[in-house]
Amino acid sequence: MLQFILRRTLIMIPQIILVSIIVFLLAKAMPGDALTGAFQGNPDVSQEQIQKIREKLGLNDPWYQQYGRWLGNAVQGDFGQSYVHKQPVTHLLAGKVENTLLLSFFTLVVTYIIAIPLGIISGRWTDTWADKIIVTYNYFAFATPVFVFALLMMYLFSFVLGWLPYGSSVDIKLEEGTWDYFVSRAKHLVLPVLSGALIATYSTIQYLRNDIIDQKLKDYVKTARAKGVPEGKVYIRHILRNSLLPIAAFLGMEITLMITGSIFIESIFSYPGLGFLFIQSISTRDYSVVTALVLISSTAVIIGTMLSDIILSIVDPRIRIE
Amino acid sequence: MKDTVIVDEKQLIAKEKANNPSLLRTIWREITHDKMALGSLIILIIILLSAYLSPLYIDQEAQHRVNFLNVWKAPSAEHWLGTDDGGRDVFGQLMLGTRNSFTIGFMVTLIAGLLGLTYGLIAGFYGGKIDNIMMRILDFLMVLPSTMFIIVFVVIVPNYTVVTFVLIMSAFAWFGKARLIRSRALQERELDYINASRTLGTPSLKIMFFEMFPNLSSLVIVNMTLTLAGNIGVETGLTFLGFGLPSGTPSLGTLISFARTPDIVQNKWWVWLPAALLILVMMLCINYIGQAVKRASDARQRLA
Amino acid sequence: MSLLKVNDLKIHYPIRGGFFRRVVDHVKAVDGISFELQPGETYGLVGESGCGKTTSGRAIIGLNNVTSGELLFEGKDLAKMGRMERRKHTKDIQMIFQDPYSSLNVRKNVLNIIAEPLRNFERLSPKEELLRVQELVARVGLSPESIYKYPHQFSGGQRQRIGIARALALKPKLIIADEPVSALDVSVQAQVLNFMQEIQEDFGLTYLFISHDLGIIQHMCDRIGIMYRGRFVEEGTASEIYNNPQHLYTKRLIAAIPELDPEKRFEKMHLRQSINQEYQNDYNNYFDKDGRMYDLKRISESHSVAMQ
Repeated sequence: MLQFILRRTLIMIPQIILVSIIVFLLAKAMPGDALTGAFQGNPDVSQEQIQKIREKLGLNDPWYQQYGRWLGNAVQGDFGQSYVHKQPVTHLLAGKVENTLLLSFFTLVVTYIIAIPLGIISGRWTDTWADKIIVTYNYFAFATPVFVFALLMMYLFSFVLGWLPYGSSVDIKLEEGTWDYFVSRAKHLVLPVLSGALIATYSTIQYLRNDIIDQKLKDYVKTARAKGVPEGKVYIRHILRNSLLPIAAFLGMEITLMITGSIFIESIFSYPGLGFLFIQSISTRDYSVVTALVLISSTAVIIGTMLSDIILSIVDPRIRIE
Repeated sequence: MKDTVIVDEKQLIAKEKANNPSLLRTIWREITHDKMALGSLIILIIILLSAYLSPLYIDQEAQHRVNFLNVWKAPSAEHWLGTDDGGRDVFGQLMLGTRNSFTIGFMVTLIAGLLGLTYGLIAGFYGGKIDNIMMRILDFLMVLPSTMFIIVFVVIVPNYTVVTFVLIMSAFAWFGKARLIRSRALQERELDYINASRTLGTPSLKIMFFEMFPNLSSLVIVNMTLTLAGNIGVETGLTFLGFGLPSGTPSLGTLISFARTPDIVQNKWWVWLPAALLILVMMLCINYIGQAVKRASDARQRLA
Repeated sequence: MSLLKVNDLKIHYPIRGGFFRRVVDHVKAVDGISFELQPGETYGLVGESGCGKTTSGRAIIGLNNVTSGELLFEGKDLAKMGRMERRKHTKDIQMIFQDPYSSLNVRKNVLNIIAEPLRNFERLSPKEELLRVQELVARVGLSPESIYKYPHQFSGGQRQRIGIARALALKPKLIIADEPVSALDVSVQAQVLNFMQEIQEDFGLTYLFISHDLGIIQHMCDRIGIMYRGRFVEEGTASEIYNNPQHLYTKRLIAAIPELDPEKRFEKMHLRQSINQEYQNDYNNYFDKDGRMYDLKRISESHSVAMQ
């Protein structure tokens, strides 16, 4: 067990290093570097001076030396300067991380709150009306692209019905710390969270339904029934125990989905999180921010996948043998 | 009834063909037995026909002409879905966009399918060390947040065109397929017909593509139908964000991307809403067809 | 000269373990076996499942890699050949597989299945190819119109005949038959076996017959090698093995053949008991201190036993 976790964690290290190399090379391929922004349009600085500063900053060194320095800084949380916002990238990110974490966390929670009961109902009472409705809903969830759905949600609830606010994460007129501020914040989260969660339920419902249907026919369930275990208990103590645990292992996949989803959802609702920042930065060619975001997101996915594998190995001992 | 001895070769072949319906025929039978799938197919065909044949009934020249006297006109008899910020007919753009989006989604599915198939077949067929290394690489590729990477590539690639966009998207669309095919190929290689081909001196490549592949083809077709919808979604989504098709090539995402200001979302809904709904309808149709195809490939699930 | 001479064949698989997946031990699937096949004979490899008989057969045809040892086919060592060179000998060695259901590609019709080796090695026009396939199909006793049918339209016995037709297409010298009838109904086993004997005469074939069924081996084989845990236990002609088994393991195997005559059942039971007694007493004569078999020792012109 411990050996598996250790090995799985070790695999992560080359992955992260590889990602950082790729991200670094991409950053190099992006037009402009740390200086272009700083001295852009400044006629007082001559080419010669720029060359000197480049030399001093090590921008003429071979790429692997630059990479080493860059990675060293990144590990310490220094991603350079944003030349659009004229402030350190870390500083810029710090203001947005909270929003994205909040959005992702609630989306994840709501997804499970919707998906788990629906999956269980649909698996336990197959081919009933409830099941058919759930399957149809799930079908829509699978087929609908997240940006179309978010847009339609916004149109319906913010514009046609006018129930919920859109844009930003809070009403700017309100003062931080007040009750109204809190309410406004929550209201601003509802649409983005629902837009993400309602269609992210797909995989969990689908998995639960299939798995419960499979488990129902297994011999251990028949044995339990034959022993006279009440039907409700058969589900709670036997079937669900087996079916629910692996859901934890989808976490890594969900994190990947959240990152992709947050780009679309945040930019549709103008929600000031990392996804929105990513789109803004790449539109304004603010590459140091882009690089930092890609690196952080990739690392998040790698760690998420690793956690999934480890959780799965705890839940399902068969995985460990491999 | 007497046994008739048939000597005619062609007749024989035809008879056996009838006894062993091809996958396409099974799919067709499955679709016609499922009302939802049949309806989806008909709707999809209507949408695609009207989109691809639109040059016959829509003046292409007028599509590009900017007419400032005519901007933001609400739907009318003349402009079924009104006009956009340049006074161009939205319906015409919708048709053009559908055509572009579908074509690109299809191309990406095809290229990614080919990549994934080759990669998966090679890894699964050889197994062992080769498989191990190839899967490690794939594991790594799969953890990359692909949307972000596609956007970054779109921005930094020089001479950005539709072709480059298709290639970039395809480059990030084959991972799942490769893994799926590899796991089936691993099972398949343990079967004796593969061993038999080896002992008969058939070269490995030939075994991979002419012996093993036909047995995986239904899997590939099912997967490609289902990912076709997904790829159209990704393309329109990226175009919506402004990192998809170059501006000269309108897609459904281009129309939806008008919905960036509250005024347009609320008061000029005819520009973006039809495109959003059309994507939704197309996705649902393709997925319904995909489900029927999936059932056709698995004898236990067939309705027909 | 013998057609095939196997010399000290070893096939080992590494067991990996520990944190760095280092090789910690080997599974000795086949651990030093030697035997010879004379042209035209049927040689039986017998043993319990997992004793390495199938692995040996598959190594001879090239489906498994050889760890060490020689596979001399007509004097040339197959084990040392590269892939391309070895391919030239594919024509001469063919295989009949155990499972007639998985050994035929369900997506191909009989014509394409049987023509596969022809397409690999001979350049025939479609007309000639069709004729050759029809000839083969007729030879294995299937109706001529069946060549456009697909495998799922045939019974197990018929499928095995298709497999045999495919193996015969290149006119091989040696056929490795890996449990060719164990997946079939008992009622058709005899049919297929007799048919195999027929074509052996017609085509002048040599068989390496792998089976766990002592009855079938007795029926089919001229000479027999008994395998146990990757080693040879005893080797001899069919009558020597069945009438005069020397090694403890062979005795136990032969004693385990079910007796149909109820009169003799008691006799058989006593025999088994006495063998069991011998096992208790003389274990050390047959197995060394690691439980490994000794090397074969010749006790007559054709009979060898692994004893001290």
